[in-house]
Amino acid sequence: MNPHTLLPEPPPMVALEPPEDPRRDRSGRARCSGQPLGLYIHIPFCLERCPYCDFNTYAGLDHLFEPYVDALVAELQGWAQALGHPRVDTVFLGGGTPTVLPSRLLARILESVAQAYRLEPGCEITSEANPGTGDRPRFAALRSLGINRLSMGAQSFQAHELRFLGRGHGPEDVVRAFRAARAAGFENINLDFIFGLPEQAPEDWADTLDQALALAPEHLSLYSLMVEPHTPLFHWVQRGRVSPPDDDRAAWLYEMALDRLEGAGYIQYEISNWARTHQAQGDPAAQPTYACRHNLHYWRNEEYLGVGAGACGHLCRGAPPLAWRPEALHGIRWENHRPVAGYIRRIQDRGHAVRTQDPISPAMAMAESMMLGLRLVREGVSRERFARRHSRGLDQVYGAPIAELEQEGLVEWVGDCLRLTRRGLLLGNRVAMAFLPD
Amino acid sequence: MDLNHIRNICIIAHIDHGKSTLADRLLQITGTVTEREMKEQLLDSMELEREKGVTIKASAVRMIHRWQGEEYAIHLIDTPGHVDFTYEVRRALQACEGAILVVDATQGIQAQTMAHLFAALEQDLVILPVINKIDLPAAMPDDVAQEIEELLGVPGEEIPRISAKTGHNVEQVLERVIQEVPPPQGRPDAPLQALVFDCQYDPYKGVIAYVRVFNGRVQGTPRMQAMGTGREMEPLEVGVLTPAMVPTHRLGTGEVGYIATGLKTVQDLDVGDTITLAENPAPEPLPGYEPMKPMVFAGLYPSNPDDYEDLRDALEKLQLNDAALVYEPEVSQALGYGFRLGFLGLFHMEIVQERLEREYGLDVIFTAPSVAYRVIRTDGTELLIRSPAELPEPTQIDHIQEPWCRVHIFTPAEYIGPIMDLVTKRRGEVKNQNWLDSKRVELVYEMPLAEILVDFYNELKARTRGYASMDYELSGYRPSDLVKLDILVNGQPVDALSVIVHRQDAYRKGQKLVSRMKEIIPRQLFEVPIQAAIGNKVISRANVKALRKDVLAKCYGGDVTRKRKLLERQKAGKKRMKMVGSVEIPQEAFMSVLRLGDED
Ligand SMILES: Nc1nc2c(ncn2[C@@H]2O[C@H](COP(=O)(O)OP(=O)(O)O)[C@@H](O)[C@H]2O)c(=O)[nH]1
Ligand code: SF4
Repeated sequence: MNPHTLLPEPPPMVALEPPEDPRRDRSGRARCSGQPLGLYIHIPFCLERCPYCDFNTYAGLDHLFEPYVDALVAELQGWAQALGHPRVDTVFLGGGTPTVLPSRLLARILESVAQAYRLEPGCEITSEANPGTGDRPRFAALRSLGINRLSMGAQSFQAHELRFLGRGHGPEDVVRAFRAARAAGFENINLDFIFGLPEQAPEDWADTLDQALALAPEHLSLYSLMVEPHTPLFHWVQRGRVSPPDDDRAAWLYEMALDRLEGAGYIQYEISNWARTHQAQGDPAAQPTYACRHNLHYWRNEEYLGVGAGACGHLCRGAPPLAWRPEALHGIRWENHRPVAGYIRRIQDRGHAVRTQDPISPAMAMAESMMLGLRLVREGVSRERFARRHSRGLDQVYGAPIAELEQEGLVEWVGDCLRLTRRGLLLGNRVAMAFLPD
Repeated sequence: MDLNHIRNICIIAHIDHGKSTLADRLLQITGTVTEREMKEQLLDSMELEREKGVTIKASAVRMIHRWQGEEYAIHLIDTPGHVDFTYEVRRALQACEGAILVVDATQGIQAQTMAHLFAALEQDLVILPVINKIDLPAAMPDDVAQEIEELLGVPGEEIPRISAKTGHNVEQVLERVIQEVPPPQGRPDAPLQALVFDCQYDPYKGVIAYVRVFNGRVQGTPRMQAMGTGREMEPLEVGVLTPAMVPTHRLGTGEVGYIATGLKTVQDLDVGDTITLAENPAPEPLPGYEPMKPMVFAGLYPSNPDDYEDLRDALEKLQLNDAALVYEPEVSQALGYGFRLGFLGLFHMEIVQERLEREYGLDVIFTAPSVAYRVIRTDGTELLIRSPAELPEPTQIDHIQEPWCRVHIFTPAEYIGPIMDLVTKRRGEVKNQNWLDSKRVELVYEMPLAEILVDFYNELKARTRGYASMDYELSGYRPSDLVKLDILVNGQPVDALSVIVHRQDAYRKGQKLVSRMKEIIPRQLFEVPIQAAIGNKVISRANVKALRKDVLAKCYGGDVTRKRKLLERQKAGKKRMKMVGSVEIPQEAFMSVLRLGDED
């Protein structure tokens, strides 16, 4: 025993080399439950790398666009076959910056989706987009491909903040791109913003929020700046060139946003997400009309496929009415190989690019339901949904930690639903940790 | 062997002045061990160490040397190398008639040399100074000879100048030993009196007593008795050390050898005790015996409560050959189950700590060391306490006494100022200032032992660019205005953080501890007040602000696994902290009491 290995490493993910076909369980049956899936498609390309970003994305790989899309199509078809052409009710093109791909290639991807999967009526199809890379004809082209939701990385309305974040666009580009998207027919648009920049002035943040609200997008995502290892920002902070983001300040800016957005009629449905709604506000747990349905799959601990370099997926057996069997109890999460060229090669060689598989025990699945579900600040985790998903009573499994968190004022019961309190919103990690196995 | 052909000697030297090298050379010249054997033996004992987890070192060796046609048995007795073992050093000296004083020709006399030298003089040993390392270009043998002459009155030109490394003049040292060190005296027909000057545990033979026979002799393995403790033993064998143990079935008057006592642990036999025959005991023991008295105490806890058993096993093993180490179970509200350890002194404590971590791979928490205080209760009774937690209610205390010690510091003259400053800050009193020559001085202080416990030595080294050396010995108990300083976290006193301090330092130390805790304790869900208090009186206070934000408010797509692992790691980190009430306190907080330096 070495006294210096202080932090225990988490147990290694099960890396199978070559991986077993993750698309089937041990009896060779397709692993999905029959509910409509979410489908995430990763586009690992950007015009430039932003200094704070640790996503799996690369600049300057234009020559791989074509072979990458070939690989994506092959992977999409492989999964579809393995799972028996499952139903899909959300598609999300994320990245990276999907809109760096020419429309022709985006069209190929979406066509193969439509061919291989049974798209549900009203299927939500989102693409991320960069305010710098879109004009009206371009947005119109996206719209005509069937994309019906746009998520734009606006990040800020302050020129100096955008410069600090290394974004190629200015505040006016956001407004221009937003108007162009509207004019091209997008009726469901999200804007992403980042807060908690080092020394960020509250007036600047207030102004950013006001300008965002003035555009009246259907959806807003507000993320706090995190200093991720291996990013330029991390090194700046380490060398003292940039002061580290201050949690107290971020908390304050966040609370500022809570008030402003609520005042403007936006409904917060997740820790970082707000949306407008058409419904009357009767049911406090109901999701707003423009909640991102794709992300709801994640937070509800439901199934989704992830295709593309570094994409993650989740399939679970056991949602009734399917029969319970021991081997069926284990869900699975997996991650694809991250580097683009390696991803392409693996797809060509063996049809899939799974790098790590993480079997999800029933206990872990329950913990994940809590960790994810409690992020949905309105819906929370309901006794009824929990019991349906896990066949165990919520109070029976987590009575003790819930009582403790209640006492700390971090969670509360609203009817049948366990939810974060306003205080718990900012301490979500504390709450989630309480449900993880020791 | 008749008494006239026996010499019993030891070597006194400051660390690194060449004691081991000289000993090796003597062994070689006398043919006791060849160079090859020396290497092999080193390997052997290391292997044994690896196998059994114990260290075997010969602490005495018999050398046979021919001089002027006659054979002499010269017993070389090893003295423990550092200051906490003054008592053992004295017992080893007691077993000798003479001592070789080795002084490094490039450095001159240092503190340890002096301390041991005075002890040797007290025992009336004949001192044979030698100046070592004269092969080095930086050697200043004449200056050093001058220094020694002033100190001992030995004419400088008569002092052998040697190189233990090359062997130059070492033969001459042996001749001087035979000529100048008197042979032992003693009555072969008197009842046995054998002084135990060291004792070690051997995995095959049990406890080995290293003895010097003063009177009488050992013949075979009759039943014996340790006179100080009254413990009887049935020895397995007796013999001499060459340095390997060679059974001889007899040990004569004046001789040095070993007795395999048949005892199971070193705690059963004290260094300094006298072994006699059970049937025909000596009327009284040899002088000088004192039972082991640990002076410094500290709590020891496993970082991970699951390691408690491992820690106990490790302590048991350590104790096999460290008779000075004592421990007993202790329970702390804050740290759970652990032990209270007693040490001879600070250096001894460091050795134990290092061995636990290095040899046993244990991750442990030491609480701040404490000396043994003597509490005089209002009813006149006396209580010896070894931990702040044992202090009675203030109303029951008439006064408290703390151990003081006499500290000898040897330093180049230019550092007198900084040393004075350090010592007076720590309640030291100047006793004496002896100039060794125009550049170097011995400073003698009286200081509370508690004040040299924490970081004094490092501080001394820092202030003198490493030039000063020190030694200390206990000089007795003195009444003192002491108070218990408690640290309250979230209103609750944390027992493992309490310290006993002098009233005049309480405020400063309290403030410092509080601000240190404030840095170390991570933000919790609620604001956590940290207070330093004496009794009910809070003397310092700070708050750890409540945790405002701890949430992943980041776009992370479907990568649930990575996010979950992040949280799992965060949770594991939390688990490593000690829960005190509802507050998580990291381990380093308990150590920070140790780092209350003078400056910062
Ligand atoms: N040049 C030289 N080095 C020596 C001499 N004697 C000892 N040393 C070196 O001094 C260092 C300390 O010697 P050692 O015998 O271990 O000292 P101890 O701590 O007193 O036992 C070692 O590196 C030896 O090699 C000598 O006569 N000449
Ligand atoms: S555009 Fe988005 S995905 Fe690309 S580098 Fe910047 S932040 Fe990362």
